[in-house]
Amino acid sequence: MPKHVAFIMDGNRRYARKLHVERQQGHTQGFDKLAETLRWCLNLEIREVTVYAFSIENFKRAKDEVDGLMELARQKFSRLLDEQEDLEKHGVCIRVLGDLTLLPLDIQKLIAQAVLATKHHNKCFLNVCFAYTSRHEITNAVKEAAWGVEQGLIKPSDVSEFLLDECLYTNNSPDPDLLIRTSGEVRLSDFLLWQTTYSCLVFQSILWPEYSFWNLCEAILQYQLNHQALQKARDQHAEARVLQQLEADRCCAADLLQQTGLGKPVDPQLRQEALQKYTAEREERVHSFLTALQEKRDRFFTDLNKGFIASAKA
Amino acid sequence: MAAPLRIGMRRSMRITQKAFFTECIMAVVYEFVWRMLHALLHLQRTLLSWNWRLWRRAMTAVLVPTVFGFQNHPHNNKKLIPTGGKKSCCRVLWKSDGKSLEKLPLHIGLLIAEEETRYTDIANLVVWCMAVGISYVSVYDNQGIFRRNSSRLMDEILKQQQELLGLDSLKYSVEFLNNSNDKPEQQVLSCQATVKVLSPDDGKTGIVTAAQKFCQLVEQQQKRSSDLDVNMLDSMLRGTKGMPDPDLVMKFGTVDSTLGFLPWHIRLTEIISFPSHINITYKHFFSALKCYAGCEQRLGK
Repeated sequence: MPKHVAFIMDGNRRYARKLHVERQQGHTQGFDKLAETLRWCLNLEIREVTVYAFSIENFKRAKDEVDGLMELARQKFSRLLDEQEDLEKHGVCIRVLGDLTLLPLDIQKLIAQAVLATKHHNKCFLNVCFAYTSRHEITNAVKEAAWGVEQGLIKPSDVSEFLLDECLYTNNSPDPDLLIRTSGEVRLSDFLLWQTTYSCLVFQSILWPEYSFWNLCEAILQYQLNHQALQKARDQHAEARVLQQLEADRCCAADLLQQTGLGKPVDPQLRQEALQKYTAEREERVHSFLTALQEKRDRFFTDLNKGFIASAKA
Repeated sequence: MAAPLRIGMRRSMRITQKAFFTECIMAVVYEFVWRMLHALLHLQRTLLSWNWRLWRRAMTAVLVPTVFGFQNHPHNNKKLIPTGGKKSCCRVLWKSDGKSLEKLPLHIGLLIAEEETRYTDIANLVVWCMAVGISYVSVYDNQGIFRRNSSRLMDEILKQQQELLGLDSLKYSVEFLNNSNDKPEQQVLSCQATVKVLSPDDGKTGIVTAAQKFCQLVEQQQKRSSDLDVNMLDSMLRGTKGMPDPDLVMKFGTVDSTLGFLPWHIRLTEIISFPSHINITYKHFFSALKCYAGCEQRLGK
């Protein structure tokens, strides 16, 4: 069974056209379908769900549609805050991923409240990608790493796949096992590009507001059929990553030895000790950096909550 | 595996004393149905994969290949290589096929997600891409096999180019790009197509390398962390011989994943899957292009 499923909930507008109703109704039905799908996932013990609710590209849409979507978000996040007891009972942790500074301030504050209120829940996790694109997320992760270098917390050579993983908005989640896109389109549209490299991709032609439990089962079946092959590929990649890191550490340790002028004919024992020391120091640096990064992120939400305007977007 | 499904089904039903036994029986039935579905799907996938290869082999062995369906089967090679006239016919027809489509991808990625690899079939695909007018073709597998054997692949592509397109192959010259150095392996008169061989090192590892470079600039105070934006990172990843993002990825094999293929670059890439690349025909290749031509990209709007 997949532990983490991601959804691209595509097809609301086509659904609305099909039924000859307003676009806004399509989006509202889409939201209801999301709530229903989350219940099915919970019943199937899929503990983590990530959804693509609003892309940065969607700001290009007509003003009234964007305003309608923002209003929908306002209503739904407010509703969430009203149902805090229920969220606590089910242990639901809500995370919102994206460049939140692009959103209206009142929505940012609602989001901050919802995130802080459910921060310590740990039975199931809902990640809502709002004002998100994967390229922005990856760029932001690189920026955070650069910030770490600016602060003197890490060196450029400390930047690795692992470090960038931890700098993404999704740093607290495992990679999705399964990505489902509805409405028949067969592309990723800038969603979790980094995180889904070894995920099972399922493209289904049904429109999102028409999604059924059986569609979900069909997707899970496909995941199960692919599981072995994907696990093998993932493990190979993980092994390669470990070797790459070891090799990088070895190079850096060797450089340091040379610099400290201990000369060319270096004793293998000394080299090994230098490598171990370097690795330990690097891990220490990375750990301090990640702690500082987490504090910076927490401060963003607590400041919003206190009513201060968040630091201006870079 | 079926346990959560059973539990999920159970929670959805109201449990009464009488219903308890019904519930147990239903759970067993559901598990049985789930396992049957699995078995059927496994069977279907295996048959599809066999069928694909057997059918293709049967067609080439029994029938004389037509101009369109020409297959470079090893046994047929000596007897059925088209003559000069037929080759130029192929070329013209393939070129007009390309022009007949509403839109043609600028860059196609060939993602081989299979254990078995056949260089001749891959070379055919590359040559067809060039013949219909695709400017950039990349070839990828997630174990870096093609990267390690890139000269063998290049030789096969040049050979197939000669066999399928004939003497005018200079017009369809190919520039091979190896990742780290930008020197073309083959001098060309006029570059009609660029072929690149990729591996997972071009994916996440490439992004990490770009990140390290940027961090070095920041350390040297040539840049600030806040200077970085999507466009800057994009141009760093594209490099000096920048290939455009793949518009279309043709994935071969039964694994439903991109397996690490250029994560940054595939944000808007259409992904069309085939059960196998072994004995792939031009007809199937072209049907994917027709499918691509029919796709509508709204780009968020």
